[in-house]
Formats: sequence, C-alpha cells, structure tokens
Amino acid sequence: MADSAPTQPKPSSSVKLVLLGEAAVGKSSLVMRFVNNDFQENKEPTIGAAFLTQKCNLPTRTIKFEIWDTAGQERFASLAPMYYRNAQAALVVYDITKPSSLTKAQHWVAELQRQASPGIVIALVGNKADLASAGGADSSDDADAAPAAEGETNEEEEGTDARRVATRTAKSYADEESLLFFETSAKTGQNVAEVFTAIANAIPETSLKGPRGVGGSTNLNRQEDARVNLAGTGMSMPDKGCAC
Amino acid sequence: MDTLDNSEWDVVIVGTGLRQSLLALALSRSDKKILHIDENDYYGGAEAAFSLQEAEEWAKSVDESSTAAAFFNTSVTKPDLSPDSSTPQLSPSRKYSLALSPQLVYARSALIQSLISSKVYRQLEFLAVGSWWVYTTSSGNQALREPISIHQTDSIRGSLLKVPSGREDVFQDQVLDFKSKRALMKFLRFISDYEEQPQEWKKYEYEPFTTFLIERFKVPEVLHAPLLALTLTSASSDQVSTMTALPRIARHLRSIGVFGSGFGSVIPRWGGMAEIAQVGCRACAVGGGVYVLGKGIAGEGKYSEFDGKLRLKDGENITTKWCVRDHAPSGIPAASDNRSVTIVSSDLAPLFPSLGEEAPIPACAIINFPSGSIPVEGWDQERAVPSVQIAIHSSDTGECPPGQSILYGYVALSGAQGSQLLKKAVESLLASVDITPAPTILWSLQYEQRCIPVNGSGSLHMTWGEGMLTFKQSQFDLAFDDRILDEVKEIWQKIMGEDAGDFLVFEDREPDIDDDD
Repeated sequence: MADSAPTQPKPSSSVKLVLLGEAAVGKSSLVMRFVNNDFQENKEPTIGAAFLTQKCNLPTRTIKFEIWDTAGQERFASLAPMYYRNAQAALVVYDITKPSSLTKAQHWVAELQRQASPGIVIALVGNKADLASAGGADSSDDADAAPAAEGETNEEEEGTDARRVATRTAKSYADEESLLFFETSAKTGQNVAEVFTAIANAIPETSLKGPRGVGGSTNLNRQEDARVNLAGTGMSMPDKGCAC
Repeated sequence: MDTLDNSEWDVVIVGTGLRQSLLALALSRSDKKILHIDENDYYGGAEAAFSLQEAEEWAKSVDESSTAAAFFNTSVTKPDLSPDSSTPQLSPSRKYSLALSPQLVYARSALIQSLISSKVYRQLEFLAVGSWWVYTTSSGNQALREPISIHQTDSIRGSLLKVPSGREDVFQDQVLDFKSKRALMKFLRFISDYEEQPQEWKKYEYEPFTTFLIERFKVPEVLHAPLLALTLTSASSDQVSTMTALPRIARHLRSIGVFGSGFGSVIPRWGGMAEIAQVGCRACAVGGGVYVLGKGIAGEGKYSEFDGKLRLKDGENITTKWCVRDHAPSGIPAASDNRSVTIVSSDLAPLFPSLGEEAPIPACAIINFPSGSIPVEGWDQERAVPSVQIAIHSSDTGECPPGQSILYGYVALSGAQGSQLLKKAVESLLASVDITPAPTILWSLQYEQRCIPVNGSGSLHMTWGEGMLTFKQSQFDLAFDDRILDEVKEIWQKIMGEDAGDFLVFEDREPDIDDDD
C-alpha cells in the first residue's frame, strides 16, 4: 500500500497560543526548545520577538502555532487585553522547585477564564523537571512526597532533589479546572513536544480556520469578509498617489 | 526586580494613551532603557476601551473637581429593562469593548503607513467604514437620494439620506438634476487638486465653505449638507471655513478605493484606538521596555524644575534622562465637547449597505446631523446650532455582541445643551431607521471631554527643563489627525538625537510569518 492515492495536503490551521506564568519559570525556554530544539542555560529575560511560530503535525491536520510571549509584561501584572484576544490555547507555566509559582499559575488560569475566549485550551506545565531527582519524581506520586512539596522551608533529605511541588498537587488542581497537565524540562527536552501535541489535539476542529487568521470565535466567515487587508495593493507603494 | 526604587532609565513615558504608545513603538528598537507607566490600571488613557463594568467604574472615577481633567460630567443611563425574555437585554459586561476614541483612520493617513512600515499592523485588524448618511427633517431637502424612510410629519422623525461615495455614485444618481450634477462634478474635479489652484479658493479661505460652494461652483443648497458631512467637523455650518473644509473633503475623496472599492477609511477592531495603543506598548515590551500599570508620578506641579529625578506615587525614586508625559496643566479653562456611547438593541442593518461584491462588509457608518436639523431648546446664540456626528459600530468590531450596535456621538457643544442635543440625535436616528422590532437603547454613557482648539498657538510640545517633554492635549476628532504622528516624531527625534534613523520603519522580527504552505 504505497502512496498510490493522490495525497491531498493536510488542512493547516493557525492557532494563537499565549504563554503565562511567573517570571523565570522557563516560559521562553520551553518555546525555544519546542521551536528550535535549543536551550540556553542562563537566558536573559525575554527580548526580541512578538511571537514565534512552529508547526505541529497531527495525523489528519497540521497546526501552526503562533506562540506569543509575555514580553515581560507579566512582571508588574501589566498584560494588555490584546494579549489574550483570540488566543485558542494557553501554556501556564510554573517551576516545580518553587511552590509560589504554582500559586501564581493558578492566578493566571483564573485570569484566562475571565479574559480569554470561552473555548480556550489551557495546559498547566510544571517546568524544570530535570531539577527533581529521578527518585523524587517517582515518589512525588506517593503520599509521602506531598508534605515536602507544600512548604519551601522543609528540609530536603535527598540532597539533589529540588522539587517542591508534588506532581499530585498540581495534577489534582489541573483535573479540577479541566486543564491539560505535564511536567517538562526545557533543559533536557523532556515532554516539551508532548505538551504542544496534546494542545494541538485538544483544540476542537470547529474552532480552526485557515493559516494566518485569528480565529477562535464564531462566525468566522463573516469576520474574514469584514477584514480590510492593509498590506494589499494599495499601501505597498508608500508614496504612490498622494497629491499632497 | 519587583521594585522600581532607585532604578535608572533612559526614557520614562507617563501614560499609555495613543501618543505615548506610538512613541513607545517608535522607541521599541532603540536600545534605550524604557520605563512605561500609567497611573490607571488599564491601557489607553483617553483612548482606552472598556467592558460595561469598566466603563461604569471609569465614569464614577472621573475627577469632577479638577479643571485640568480631560473628562467630566459623566453619567451612565440604564433604561429599566423588563426582565421579560421577549425584550432585548444587555449581554454580560465582557461582551463589550466600548471605545473612548472610536476614531476612523483614512487610508491615506500617515498612521496607516507607520503601522505597516513598523510591521505592527500584523497584530491589528481593520474594518471598513461604509456609508455616510445625512439626517434631514425638512421638506425642502427631498432632492437627495435613497431615503431609507420618511416620516415628514413627526418632528423627531426624519430621514437618512446616503451621501454619494464618489464620482460614480454621482453619475448614477437618479434624483439629482443635470445642473446640480454638473456643479457637483465640477467641484469634485476641482478638489482633486485644489492645492494647485489657489486662485480658485484663496479669497474664500476664511469665508464659510457654503458661500464658496454657492459663489464659485453654484452647488445647490441641497448638496451642502452631504459635502459638510464629509468634513467630519462638528462646527455649525456657518462656522466651517473653506480653509477647513477643503483639505478634509480632499482627504476623504483621495482615500476612497485605496484598500478596496467603495470606502476610504477604516477602524481598528476591538475598541478603536485602544487597540493600536496596546499594540504599540507590546512592541516596546518586546524590545525590552518595562511596563507598569497602576503607577503614577507624584508631585504633579513639578513640570518646570525637572532634574532627572522622579518620584512615583508609591514612593519609589527613579532617575531618567528623559521623561515624556501629557500636557502640562495650564490653568486656562478649556472648551469642551459632549460625547456619548449608546448600546442599541439592533444591528441597524439598513445603515450598512454592501459596498460591492469585492469589498469588505462595512463595520462602521457615519451619520451627520446638520446644523439646525435638531432643535435645541433656548438656543439664543447668533451662530447656528453645531452639527452632530454619530459613528455606528457594528458587532463585527467586537465592541458589542451580534444583534446589537454601538452609537458613538459627538458634538462640539458643552454643557446641558450639548448633552441634550446628543440625546435627541440618538433618538432621532433610531426613530428614522425602518427596522422591526424597533431598536431600543440598552445602555448609554454621556460625558464631556476638554480640549484645546486645534488651531491653538504654541509649538506641538514644550520643554520644561532639560529632559522633560510633554504632549499637547488635543481636541477629539472623529478621524485620526496626522498631526499626532508629527508630534510623536518630534519627541522621538529629540530623544534619539543623531541616531534617529527612519521614523517607525522596522524589519519583521518574525522570520517566517508569510510561510504559508
């Protein structure tokens, strides 16, 4: 059964994905790992791109993520409504070595539920999983790991295990709020592609549209019909036609 | 860093209104260390957009005591809506994004060029401004075309007449007589390059535009109102000079067809200029600028003694080479305009006729109420009553849910008379549209906005000690005024000095954006 039938190109859709989470939890690093399969140890706070794009190939369709970084505007809680606008997916990131970052993540989830489109797919991601010892990651599913996760002051006996948020704690919160949940390491690449694939799979087909659109709401055709294309013929020649 | 105390900056921009945000955009690739703050907890300043709840909070928070505040006399009116499910209801607060600055932008505006050359247009959506209508009650004005309803007997009900959108419209017109058409065509030919023919209009420069139309082109009176509507001025008809009207009408006509047939101006989606302000701020943040809302400057009076040190309202001391902020309080009482925002229970579809097969669906209609078309009780001034402008935004703007629309009203008249005039205009408009069920008002906001005259004296900005730059406060205008961009450029140039380069011209930051496969 070789490629006999004329293969139709898979439908491709753009999806706006926004990143949220406390500063320094590794939001940009996750994206760099996903987009460039790259990791920089002591990365500066985010500067430089309004958004990055990366494709995610599913069996029946291709999702092209437009990944919007906070550009640091989360630091003083100064994200603009346009950031959430038409986002079809959100990655809410915390640091598994820092319990306060999960609290912050919960705040962002609430903010998304308030500000974003109702159908938005939210993934809660515990990053820096590489800092948990292998044993710690296993035992975090056990009840006895939980107490260590609840308080930052707790003396750590394993020495190398910096984990302070039990997988179970975050997972049960994610389940309550119907969020996708993963623990990742941008450093090793662990689970990074899986997060994006899971998000791509979770986005309902009905909310998708063609490439380079905004989508995410109802009445898509009409919205496209109303849109004026500024980059079209008229304005590509800046000085043409102005009689002034 | 979660405190700003003792931080050092190259530029501190105060306020996130349109000007400041365009400046932030202009500086976004400059490598300057930028702190952009706003004492409000929302973006956009005088150009913000609000949910219903935010709009009501804003109306309450407006400082009535300060004569320097941009807004005053705010009031929110919510008619008693019966909870009966058959009557139209307001939707939840967040379904609305009401614009304090519902401006339209002409296709030939330098703003469009700048949004394109700086690449931020990719994060914006623009919608077409469709038809322009003139409201009329009089029996004498029947010679115009396409009345969508006529109720001549009732004083409050008039008819809305569509303004021809270009020469083709005029040619195809069935109602205008040949003589009027010829006069109008002659005028339209003239205005296409009026700058080249000063001999035609210089001596009428300060004369009323209507006098010029009659004496120079024999344009009949019936066509004065539609032509004045294109100027988007709210002054009384006898106060609009030839000098004011010509460039505005030319701007309108020259923009038609640039982005598609049948329209010449656009509006940003999602709440007017607020969206452009946010996009500018984001661009600056992406370039490394630091953003803090809910943070103002302490000590409002210190304009004249700026020494590089600023104290923020929570007590942080910071230093900066440059500080850019709003106009300095002058102490001179400024004139004010009345403005209103009205949510209506109908899409008012008859006012949004198709612009043609290839053209986008229009999302905005402009209604002009000429001088005197709405009576004002106790009007005792010599000049005519100012005209009223209403911009209707459809739900395609994202400013309201489907099945509703937003009416943004504006009149250059202060006080109770202005507010009364606006209310009557909205009522008359709704009564004049033949649509079932009859549209009702679900919610409305009225306020006054202070302004300084557009032709006011003084330079665009003033320097208060080394490093302190201020924007001018300007009059609200229904169309974006390119002078705002000049003002931003001037300040940008001052900050950048020799290294300025091209204003608002950037490369794409995103490499593969057009990769479509």
